[in-house]
Amino acid sequence: MTPQIELIDVNKHYGSFHALKGIDVTIPKGQFVALVGPSGCGKSTLLRSIAGLESISGGTLKIAGEVMNKVPPRKRDLAMVFQSYALYPHLSVRDNLTYALRLRGVSKAERARAAEEVAAVIGLGALLDRRPAELSGGQRQRVAMGRAIIREPKAFLFDEPLSNLDASLRVRMRKEIRAIHDRLGATSVYVTHDQIEAMTMADHVVVLRAGVIEQQGPPLDLYARPVNRFVAGFIGSPAMNFVPATVVEGGGAVRLDAAGGAEVAVAGRVEGGRRVIAGIRPEHLDIVGADTPGAFALTVGAVEPTGSVTYVSSDDEPEILLVADGATRVRTGDRIHVAIAPERVHLFDPESEAALG
Amino acid sequence: MRRVLNTLRDGVGFDTLLVIVALTYLLLFAGLPLIYNVVISFQHVDIFSLGTLFHPSAGWENYTAIFTDPLARTVLVNTIVFTLASVALQFTLGFAVALFFDRQFPGAAWIRGLFLAGWVMPGLVVGVLWNWLLSGDFGVINYVLEALGIIDDPIFWRSDVDYSLFSVILANIWYGMPFNMILLSVGLAAIPDDLYEAAELDGANVWQRFWTITLPMMRATIGAVLALGIIFTLQQFDLFAAITSGGPAGSSTVAQYWSWQLSFREFDFGRGAVISVLMIVVVLAVALIYVRSTRAETRL
Repeated sequence: MTPQIELIDVNKHYGSFHALKGIDVTIPKGQFVALVGPSGCGKSTLLRSIAGLESISGGTLKIAGEVMNKVPPRKRDLAMVFQSYALYPHLSVRDNLTYALRLRGVSKAERARAAEEVAAVIGLGALLDRRPAELSGGQRQRVAMGRAIIREPKAFLFDEPLSNLDASLRVRMRKEIRAIHDRLGATSVYVTHDQIEAMTMADHVVVLRAGVIEQQGPPLDLYARPVNRFVAGFIGSPAMNFVPATVVEGGGAVRLDAAGGAEVAVAGRVEGGRRVIAGIRPEHLDIVGADTPGAFALTVGAVEPTGSVTYVSSDDEPEILLVADGATRVRTGDRIHVAIAPERVHLFDPESEAALG
Repeated sequence: MRRVLNTLRDGVGFDTLLVIVALTYLLLFAGLPLIYNVVISFQHVDIFSLGTLFHPSAGWENYTAIFTDPLARTVLVNTIVFTLASVALQFTLGFAVALFFDRQFPGAAWIRGLFLAGWVMPGLVVGVLWNWLLSGDFGVINYVLEALGIIDDPIFWRSDVDYSLFSVILANIWYGMPFNMILLSVGLAAIPDDLYEAAELDGANVWQRFWTITLPMMRATIGAVLALGIIFTLQQFDLFAAITSGGPAGSSTVAQYWSWQLSFREFDFGRGAVISVLMIVVVLAVALIYVRSTRAETRL
């Protein structure tokens, strides 16, 4: 089947600045794709390039099989939800929702019906006659969603749509957006700097850094098999611990530069004596009894209980963080023993930062 | 006494004091002359009685004299034509230039600033400048028109009854356009880019974006610019004095210039005041529109 959106070796230059470098992404119909990365990584530029608000300098952009490189935004049949919502302040909610239909020459009666329908989907029925200035942030966000939905476009583009909402509303809208996506069978491209949003909402996550795709794939693949230290550190919360280490003779374990030179068994095969960076997710370290095989000792530096879990960090430099059960009772200065399954220890090359083994 | 001083220093008294100062100024230098102007429009005032405070009453005599004056009709038509043509073209050209500079090409802000050079010049200087341009014998405008083959014989713009008003309108459009352009530029800059982007994705072409986004978003600014344009145009005096002196044969006389002629050329201050009073009514109506549109701006 033809992919709904296809980017082939897309490049974007701003003068001498190379903003997007050889981007290849294929988005099948019905998929929810998140573009994620730190600010300045090119994710918004990529989204705006798909929308046509930026022209691409090289490569091919196809939407529903057609090359769109030179097609103006209004002929691409894409709907976009802006971070600022970009609602038309001089129009009522109803007219905001039906603006695109009006341009297409849809009759007034039909527009009114469409507005009612969409308002029901996004839960804004009572507010159709209000102006955007009279709405709360969450309501504006819904109008922006509604304005996209009403058009039944080829794909939805989201540019950090939740970043202006407070935390609890953000969590709720996350689910709602995903639910609407599923109900409409839509194709969505969603830009966010928040890896949790990307992980929870998307079928396919694209991690960008400095205009380059570092890795793309299903969220759990990225979590379980990051291809480099950047992705490993970016995906997952709290972030992965990175500890410099040396591979011991035979390659079955690494000796950490921290925790008193403890040896940790690893599954990956790396030749003995090599310097590596060991990546250990905080949630994969378990506090165990001292006599557990493979356990190593840490001195507790700081303890941060949240109720559900307790964050325990070691007094090493850099510190090793672990997520313990909320009922854990440890104090600063305590000696604890921790263990990790060998297959969960990630190894990275200190120079290239690529995953090893 | 102490209490009065205290409240003046850091109490309600200070606020009151500030209001009183402003109000006194307004009453003294705007209110009184305005009222006095209305009063003398009902009196016989000439050069000899000008110095006295009380003048013989004239009833509605000055008013009937103005309305039955053979020049009245010409002046009324001239004023309407001058105002509408000036404001319409200042606004349209100003808007067009503002839209052009809104494209933000390299140097846009700088060149836009240069446009203000015309506007900051004194009206009399602008008048003299256009006198040269419009001169019948050696003016550049005649030269260009002749070179292009549009006219065969030079037009005496300032002394031909068919062209005299047009000459002043031309100069006034040039003079007032930058002001319109700057105000409209500010209005355009206040429209967020993402509105245009959203509209573009919603399928709006350039024209549709202009009609459905730019114009409605600019409503308050446009109202203010038009109102100010009308007020400034009704105040325009220097250009008439410099270019045509209202002539020939009153063919370029407008209300404000006529009022001045009656008062300071014919020394009939009563009739001069009548025209001022009539103009005050018009300007007040326009000012009302201005105030309303600036209020709409804050609501947006």
